[in-house]
Amino acid sequence: MTSCSRLPVETTAVRLGREDWGVVTTRYETIDHTADVAFIAYGSTLEELFENAAFAMFDITFDLSEAAGRTTRPMVADGDTPEELLVNWLNELLAESETRGLAFSQFGVDRLEEGGIQGWAGGDPIDAIPLEGAPVKAATHHDLAIVEIPGGWWARVVLDV
Amino acid sequence: MSDFEKTGSALWEAPATGGMRVPGRVFASEALFRGASEDRALDQVVNVAHLPGIVEASFAMPDIHWGYGFPIGGVAATDVDQGGVVSPGGVGFDICCGVRLIGSELDHEELRPRLEGVMGRLDDAIPRGLGKGAVASKRLLDDVLAVGASAAVAAGFGTPEDLERCEERGSSEGADPSVLSDRAVERGAGQLGSLGGGNHFLEIQWVDRIVDEEAAEAFGLSPGMVCVMIHCGSRGLGHQTCTDHVKSMGPAMKRHGIEVPDRQLASVPVQSDEGRRYLGAMAASANFAWANRHILADATRKAFATGLGSEVAMPLVYDVAHNLAKIERHVVGGKERTLCVHRKGATRAQGPGHAALPDDLAPVGQPVLIPGSMGTSSWVLAGVADNPAFDSAAHGAGRVMSRTQAKKQRSGRQVMEALESDDIAVRPGSVNLLSEEAPYAYKDVEEVVRVCEAAGLARPVARLRPMGVVKG
Repeated sequence: MTSCSRLPVETTAVRLGREDWGVVTTRYETIDHTADVAFIAYGSTLEELFENAAFAMFDITFDLSEAAGRTTRPMVADGDTPEELLVNWLNELLAESETRGLAFSQFGVDRLEEGGIQGWAGGDPIDAIPLEGAPVKAATHHDLAIVEIPGGWWARVVLDV
Repeated sequence: MSDFEKTGSALWEAPATGGMRVPGRVFASEALFRGASEDRALDQVVNVAHLPGIVEASFAMPDIHWGYGFPIGGVAATDVDQGGVVSPGGVGFDICCGVRLIGSELDHEELRPRLEGVMGRLDDAIPRGLGKGAVASKRLLDDVLAVGASAAVAAGFGTPEDLERCEERGSSEGADPSVLSDRAVERGAGQLGSLGGGNHFLEIQWVDRIVDEEAAEAFGLSPGMVCVMIHCGSRGLGHQTCTDHVKSMGPAMKRHGIEVPDRQLASVPVQSDEGRRYLGAMAASANFAWANRHILADATRKAFATGLGSEVAMPLVYDVAHNLAKIERHVVGGKERTLCVHRKGATRAQGPGHAALPDDLAPVGQPVLIPGSMGTSSWVLAGVADNPAFDSAAHGAGRVMSRTQAKKQRSGRQVMEALESDDIAVRPGSVNLLSEEAPYAYKDVEEVVRVCEAAGLARPVARLRPMGVVKG
């Protein structure tokens, strides 16, 4: 399981475009979207960014505070660009979650390279985890961004719920 | 912000500039337009105007709000014979999401003392939220994907008469289940006859106002009548189908030399292998959605019979999609053309005399179902002649507040108590989630209906008020 990122950015500063960044101590934060749900995830590496984006997507739907994530599933995704790869990684996780009946809370990226990602996700049976928000239908390409910043990365993702 | 100007009593227009192939047109009152201006919905209307082959305009209905790619409430038609494209994002992830309205022989005063019994039965009978659980077995899936709601009738759900009151008789033309991915079929296998979550619901309502008696009679609605409204779609099968095709259209767009301002507007010519594959998969997913609502309606009728201790006649008023792309014939520039009409959060609204309507509806036009939010009214409208947006109208109240903001206003428990104090029984899949869908998160549905009428999109017929809500 990944820990909180500690990046030289202040979460609200990202949205305001400020340059006097502070320190991030969160894996992600939600941002307003009228109909759907959007978040900004952080990571000190691209691998950690992908792990934290995955965590964000499931944490928006489920209360993961008590989740152990002991049932692990191997995950792979492909994509021509980091942005395509991120959306495909998230959508692979959603499909795996639904078909296996698992609420994922633990994520690991073993290999991230041009064109592909290999990793794993650990989850608990969906019925055992309380719902916290509307179920996610898909991760979208709308307003999608991955940005490198001093000491790490941030990514913005809009989810269809 | 995009350059829109008011050009009619309920119309705002942005001229075609830059890469826009047509103007943007938004049907709205001052208040609704102001709301749409506060987020990025208008930019999305402009983006859609860039689609290859788009004709007339990129339209937005009065319930417009910020979506992903298309705005919610977006309508775009492309000329199939002139390289017009189909865009999975113009249909959305919940393919053929729509609304079904069932009437009854019950009066609301008659039901009120026995409402709790019926709500208890519905609570047990309607699978909802995440995870497995469905009314129908997966054995039915292959037939449903091929032909839609009629497969459910053949399996004993509902009646053949129901099909007469479904858009396209509950079956989408050109369905090709063979092009669905294994994963899409796997996701749908355990979900046939399930409501899902988010803004999906099943509501017991009653007719509190009729403004067009002739149309109401043709639709089978009378004052005081108990109705049931069901809002859901194609579940995981549709979500996966959209995901699959948005992904594959990335490289396909390059092959066809298509560029769009938002990757979520990925599109390919209707008359291309990729376009045909998407439309075949979309129609098969739509068949799942038609059948899904049909099976839930059957479960609803059985729950009423069990809860009341006797059979109750509950005929179908209508079933209509609001997330779909359809090949239709329309006159553009004085010439009839074959168009691919995308309705993303917009309802088809055919006027009186339209050839596709059944005989009993032809004199009055197609029923248009516009659900409000929990705790407020829903409306039944009718299609009108000379609709200015390819026979389309609004599909709901439209959100005005993000889910995060809505949660901050009140807890789910507080929303439930407020509804119950208004004599609305609530059976949520999760109490926590109720606040995301609270009435204050939505626009005023009365305003949306007024604009539909003023803009010549549809005319109001009857208003429905909620008695009981089963939420996903």
